[in-house]
Amino acid sequence: MPAEKNIYKPIRAKLVDVIVESPTIKTFVLIPEEEFSFKTGQFIELSVDGIGEAPFTPSSSPLIKDKIEVTVMKTGYVTEYMHNLKPGVMMGIRGPYGRGYPVEKFHDKEILVVGGGCGFAPIRSLLYNLAAITDKLRKVTLCYGSKTPEECIYKPYITELKKIPKFEVLRTVDRADSTWTEKVGVVTVLLDDVKVDVKNSVAVVCGPPIMMKFSTLKLLEMGYPEHDIYLSMEKNMSCGLGKCGHCMMGKYFVCKDGPVFTYDEIKDQPHIWS
Amino acid sequence: MDYYFINRKEWDKKLEELLESHNIFAPVPNEFSLDYEVLTPSLIPLVSYNKPKPASPLKIFFTPIKENVTSPGKDEKPIIIMGVPNCDVEALGILDEIYLDESFEDLFYRKRRQKTLIISTDCFDLQEHCHCTSYGVKPWSEQRADLAVTLIKDQIILRVISEKGKTFVTETIQASPLNDKGLISSIENRHREIEDLLNRTNKELPDYKETGRLVKSSSKAIWVKHSSTCVSCGACTTICPTCTCFLLIDKPGFHKVKQMDACQYPGFEKTAGGEDPLKELHERFRNRYMCKYVWKPEKFKHIACTGCGRCIEACIGKINKNKLFIELAK
Repeated sequence: MPAEKNIYKPIRAKLVDVIVESPTIKTFVLIPEEEFSFKTGQFIELSVDGIGEAPFTPSSSPLIKDKIEVTVMKTGYVTEYMHNLKPGVMMGIRGPYGRGYPVEKFHDKEILVVGGGCGFAPIRSLLYNLAAITDKLRKVTLCYGSKTPEECIYKPYITELKKIPKFEVLRTVDRADSTWTEKVGVVTVLLDDVKVDVKNSVAVVCGPPIMMKFSTLKLLEMGYPEHDIYLSMEKNMSCGLGKCGHCMMGKYFVCKDGPVFTYDEIKDQPHIWS
Repeated sequence: MDYYFINRKEWDKKLEELLESHNIFAPVPNEFSLDYEVLTPSLIPLVSYNKPKPASPLKIFFTPIKENVTSPGKDEKPIIIMGVPNCDVEALGILDEIYLDESFEDLFYRKRRQKTLIISTDCFDLQEHCHCTSYGVKPWSEQRADLAVTLIKDQIILRVISEKGKTFVTETIQASPLNDKGLISSIENRHREIEDLLNRTNKELPDYKETGRLVKSSSKAIWVKHSSTCVSCGACTTICPTCTCFLLIDKPGFHKVKQMDACQYPGFEKTAGGEDPLKELHERFRNRYMCKYVWKPEKFKHIACTGCGRCIEACIGKINKNKLFIELAK
């Protein structure tokens, strides 16, 4: 008789590579010991044995089934441990959890993707997914902002993206250096330059709360309907199962009902930007 | 509903026999209050019937304060919990919705629910803060429990609620069907008397259907005022039969320990990025009311407050939820 499913038990995954993306961000490449797949935008709980676990949306393609990549910014106790890990150790994975991006609803649309800082991680997974179905899409525009050129992540991937037909990449940094040739300013300055047919478009936003807030306001100003703005919310998703209560955002458990919501779904809930 | 009866002495004898094969918990008075005890032969005659309400909520039997949820655990004997007041029985509605949710069923919770026989007791009395009827909860059980027990003189009367309860009464206890309509109506009259008493005692409280609107439309000032003596100890959530928030703690070997948590603790909703929607004490205090009376009713079919009043009794800051609602309703 097969063992009963224990929702709290992680599967093990071997850390096979650690890629340094910026001084504070690393990507962990993992090979799960059991079959594991996810839909883009869903998240996992990644654990360091005996230390703790934290929620992350995989940054790799959902179409690749044998390995998974997770991009982690060093922000606290668990992520600091993660940043010290070397290839070869075992990590724990629970999930995938929640509702990801409804890619099928993006067919025949122009997709405006707005990302900030480590919020590029879920977006990269989405872009991998979209790159595989370009024949079904009109256009994909990425607007990405980070604090400095040094903190811009996925540099080789950006080069790759620029070569994909129908894809356009716009970047900005808050503070430029002598090497920077692209835009300077917060990410919303890129939206001023974007040429998009709003009526046939959806927007996807992921990044720090303050960036999400002002990007959403700008998108509304550009004429995007509230139901066409997709937000990937960051809350304290602790169990991932819609039970522990830590990620409640009004009537929603962000872990189960989200983390991807349309703006019209959550606009009346409390603390959406904090 | 079917009623059965058995002589108290025979009942006590049956309970003693059942101790061989079951873990039985029943309310026994102590010098401070009434609380569940692990039943032993010497405690059987001391079991309390028809009294509200054990100090501990029923949830502690199904969601322990702390447990390892990655090891299989011990294969324990079947459990009988006696003397459960209906405010606790009704709280199982929302617990079942959360823990037996088809997409993520908690097998620890499900196994405990399956192996537990719940014998409710009709409340023939009330305590200072009992206010179940203001939340539409009766002081006697007609659902969710397996049986309801009443002690009248030297007779144990058992009301059958579930099939599991019926099997227990007819096969395990071998009680006799009660056909004395006079006795049954005297029990039902007692139900109504207590219900009326509860309604009269709590007549100032708003109807539970109004509580969400009252909480939602209230000003910040009222939450600052009522939380002024709150010390964020979490006693209100720990003692609440419907509060089930928890924390998963990692242990070596990829083990997880599930531990009861409280939205009243600082940092409960804090994210890695440092955002904390419940930073201020009054925000955490209000959050519990918003959760119980606004958000949970929008999300779940079952109520998230059954009017047991334990949060009032447990509060070391002497915060009285009922006084707050009376003020909100003014």
